[in-house]
Amino acid sequence: MSKGARVRQQRVQAPQKRGGRRIKTPQPPGQTGSRRNLYLGVLGAVVVLAAVLVGASVLSSGGSSSSPKTVSISSVGATNKLLAGIPQNGIELGSPNAPVTMQEFADIQCPGCDQYMRSAFPDIVRKYVRPGKVRIEWKGISFLGPDSEKGLRYVNAAGEQNKLWNVAELLYRNQGTENSGWVTNELLRSVGEAVPGLDADKVQANVNSSAVNRKMADAANEFTTFGLNSTPGFAIGPTGGTLQVFNPSAYSVDAFAPTFEKYVKQSR
Amino acid sequence: MSDRTLRVAICVLAAAGAAIAGYLLYERWTGGPLVCATGGCETVQNSRYSKIAGVPVALLGLLAYTGIFVTGLLRTELARAIGAALAVSGLAFALYLVYVQNSKIHAWCQWCLASDAILAVLAVLTVVRLLREPEPVAVAAPAVAAPRRR
Repeated sequence: MSKGARVRQQRVQAPQKRGGRRIKTPQPPGQTGSRRNLYLGVLGAVVVLAAVLVGASVLSSGGSSSSPKTVSISSVGATNKLLAGIPQNGIELGSPNAPVTMQEFADIQCPGCDQYMRSAFPDIVRKYVRPGKVRIEWKGISFLGPDSEKGLRYVNAAGEQNKLWNVAELLYRNQGTENSGWVTNELLRSVGEAVPGLDADKVQANVNSSAVNRKMADAANEFTTFGLNSTPGFAIGPTGGTLQVFNPSAYSVDAFAPTFEKYVKQSR
Repeated sequence: MSDRTLRVAICVLAAAGAAIAGYLLYERWTGGPLVCATGGCETVQNSRYSKIAGVPVALLGLLAYTGIFVTGLLRTELARAIGAALAVSGLAFALYLVYVQNSKIHAWCQWCLASDAILAVLAVLTVVRLLREPEPVAVAAPAVAAPRRR
């Protein structure tokens, strides 16, 4: 091939870019294989990386360990939203400086308590607890059966991490049939894990602690002292003062409001 | 779409993803409340699936987005390959976490879903960038002597 022919062939194979200064180099035959190897390498890396991440997550979350599995529970978002940002200290919900204190005596299994928690509690929280007018103390009672005590112990143990109200509210929102065995380890685990900032393992470890036993005994004593014989029971009064038994005419915020307002006015 | 456009899009999306992961990580370490329309962000953030061997998933996300961002700045074949590997494996893990939110935690985190959407687009862009022909290599044109007149 003459020199002129080689030059013409080069021009055809490697078209010049604008200006004629740079040209696109043709892909050598060996590069197809090297690109294939590159793609295979990327694919391998993707498979390995994804498998390691998913596997580590499953193992890390206890997916294959003896820790209880979780079950589907409802109202997680609504509960967390309702209670977010409100101070909790043990059995207490609301500002310690609130002028009014209400004690709620409740069994985690009682349908009436569930009705109160659904119908009145959210509005009471929004209108009185969040603005710092009322603080509520949860006095857990266990008299309906084995599920009551199991749930109560878990709720009180969550109080050790100042998350009692989140757990109690979620258990009510997911309440089962009385004494049907609905308070399972799986349910408690699911509730515990759904509460922001709560160490579910620690809660489970503390369900039989002396602090939990003391809380249960104190609540039972006060329940008797007030002469209450059913749940939910309420006692309302000025913070630091004497509380009076309160029997609401209905489970709605309107039934509680006049009593709250009376003590708020007295505190001014 | 030119390689330059692809790289710009990859960098912008990776920066957005890093911002989300950084926000989740910051709130996790400071214990602050998350802005959350879905109501389940904190539930997901505090679940046992939010950490792998003690390392927050948000931190892994931040590292992955940073890596993808850096590969978007580079023009080498290796950078394209690493970017695609990070984005696609990240997307696979993100899909697993969507399953976890739906079936295990029963709560949805809007920030996680936004991050998943970004990862999905990033996976497409980085794979497109990887599959394209390499950019023309800049070499000097062979000096061609003008044919001599006889």
